[in-house]
Amino acid sequence: MADPILKIEDLSVDYEVGAGTFHALQNVTFEMTPGRVAGIVGETGCGKSTLAHSIPRLLREPPARIRRGKVWFRGIDVLALPKWKLPLVRGTGVSMIFQEPINSLNPAYRIYDQLAEAVRIRKMRDAGRASTRSIGLEPHDYSKGASPTAAEALKGPFLPRSGGRFLRKGRLSNDELRDDVLEYLRLVRINDPETILQLYPHELSGGMRQRIMIAMALSEKPSLLIADEPTSALDITIQAQVLTLMKELMEEVRTSILFISHDLGVIAEMADDVGVMYAGHLVEFGPVDEVYAQPRHPYTKALLRSVPRQYKEDGPLPSLPGSVPNLSRLPSGCTFHPRCPLAREVCARDPGPPLEEARGSVVAGHRAACYFSEEVASLA
Amino acid sequence: MMDAVLEARDLYKHFPVSRSLFETVQRVPKDVIHAVDGVSLRLHAGEALGVIGESGSGKTTLGWTMARLHDPTRGSIRLHGTDITNLHGSALMAIRRKIQVVFQDPVGSLDPRLRVWQIVGEPAQAQGHVTRTELRSRVAEILPTVGLPGEGLDQYPHEFSGGGRQRLSLARALIVHPEIVVLDEPTSALDVAVQAQILNRLVALQREMGLSYLMITHNVAAVRYVADRVAVMYLGKLAEVGRVRDVLEHPMHPYTKALLAALPTPVPGRRSARYRVTGEIPTMIHPPVGCRFAARCPFVIPRCIEEEPALRSIPGPVERLVACHRAEEIGDVPPEELVGSVSDTTTRESMRA
Repeated sequence: MADPILKIEDLSVDYEVGAGTFHALQNVTFEMTPGRVAGIVGETGCGKSTLAHSIPRLLREPPARIRRGKVWFRGIDVLALPKWKLPLVRGTGVSMIFQEPINSLNPAYRIYDQLAEAVRIRKMRDAGRASTRSIGLEPHDYSKGASPTAAEALKGPFLPRSGGRFLRKGRLSNDELRDDVLEYLRLVRINDPETILQLYPHELSGGMRQRIMIAMALSEKPSLLIADEPTSALDITIQAQVLTLMKELMEEVRTSILFISHDLGVIAEMADDVGVMYAGHLVEFGPVDEVYAQPRHPYTKALLRSVPRQYKEDGPLPSLPGSVPNLSRLPSGCTFHPRCPLAREVCARDPGPPLEEARGSVVAGHRAACYFSEEVASLA
Repeated sequence: MMDAVLEARDLYKHFPVSRSLFETVQRVPKDVIHAVDGVSLRLHAGEALGVIGESGSGKTTLGWTMARLHDPTRGSIRLHGTDITNLHGSALMAIRRKIQVVFQDPVGSLDPRLRVWQIVGEPAQAQGHVTRTELRSRVAEILPTVGLPGEGLDQYPHEFSGGGRQRLSLARALIVHPEIVVLDEPTSALDVAVQAQILNRLVALQREMGLSYLMITHNVAAVRYVADRVAVMYLGKLAEVGRVRDVLEHPMHPYTKALLAALPTPVPGRRSARYRVTGEIPTMIHPPVGCRFAARCPFVIPRCIEEEPALRSIPGPVERLVACHRAEEIGDVPPEELVGSVSDTTTRESMRA
């Protein structure tokens, strides 16, 4: 089995603001296998976006503070990197797509200029002008079977001194750049790329803008793509188009995806593995079909059941009582115990169950953070 | 035939597009957005009618116009058979007591500087003078019906969670004991677990208070649970109207089929190739001449481009209206069998397979 492309160990992140300390992530631990799609699902405020942003170190620190833990990306401890080396993890290593493409595109530049910038940087790297080889961050071709090694990752210099100058125009022919940009637009199935290039972001529809963002993220040939609610702002039929596109591209470009969403349906559609988050904790992780069919954490079960699938003649919707706790005043023990139908004394007293192999599960790698995970199946 | 409490007859609502000074001087013809373009819809007493559609389909404009928050461009609105299209002043105030609206954004629609009793009590006060003590007691009475504690009268909206704010909006609509409540995206800002609580509350309230709902949403799951009948809107027109079970389980209009097939469902292993429509919603400034869905429809025939299909009744035991020339031919084709008919993404998929 290949080395994990991403390994998160015991990650805890706080936000320190005037009103107190908010524990946005607590002891999150999981691994991503290369070539697979891992989904993270949870309600608003459960920490899924904080998790996504902490991988390429995009959190604003302060107010955020990484209290504990490690983020291993292809063997590199991202959290230990000095700030000036981060641009190498980003882009060719980790790319990100955000929820609102309109906020991520610069309204003052045409689509061409924005895409060309990403393509130019990548081409500079490919041409050896900005060395990536020396730090072991070149995109890895998983089809060849070998797993990426990254131990010696950070020895050499990664950018020539005059890096800034190389990144500007001039050294690359504009025609070459343009062809490449058009190629990426065709990759994301834009029918009339020549016209689109000349437009400004506000002239495009939401679905189109998200395609541009995907093209931009892929132009760096990332080995990990983090998609933070990429389709939540889109209409249903457009969402379906973008999801289909992403699935096709995954095979063509051979990238691993960390897919963040609040929508259980979208995750079922896209992901191979799923992690469920509640109040900053990863409460369950495993293969998506297994987790959805046989949830081993009472919260996962409740979440799956509250998706309305019935008519009103069929009786009231099953709903979870209470509400999500305030992250600055988390309950003692397991954070879910005040709302949990299985809660006993030990749940409130103990420091909270660790994420471990779920008892009674037949599938390896299905983990749940619950003392009574074998009883979840019997819950109504 | 059941009585309609609220009825729209051939309703139009067009919004002018602003022109620059130059265009005005040049007498460039005025463009309008055809938000609602000839909709006839009846809301029966005690029923919940869902209006579904994507953004830009005109569903919110339809709801607002039927609640008389917009003045219609053409057509009429009737409340219990009486024309209310041109009411204004005190007569309009009087019908406001019968039709209330729960607005889309529970953060933006609650004044952050007012306390709960002021926010929830405001419609009652607008209907006539009420003393402060009386108002507070009426608010305290209505809060438990939406599942909020009656003591929180002096709280501010920011002290509530998303679900709590949505409950406040609902309480504000219910305080005047309306007959009709227009629910504009009642669950779009909520997480699934909270959404289930609110939907249960909505259904219970409808039974207890005998309300009629006009529920505008893009959330098909919510409509399935709350509504009795459903109307599907596309580009300012109705595509299909019928009983909720009929429409969601046997959609007849190609757009309804596409919409339902595009819904991601949390069922493990259900990741089949799906029926996809290509393209995006066209602009509503110059809507197409024929069928508005023709450009994206896999079943398009020349007639669709030349002649606009009327919303017509399909023979059957219950009322079913579909605006499609080929409804009888394609109505029974299940969405799974439509794969590969036209869309370029699906052909690409099938080529690889």
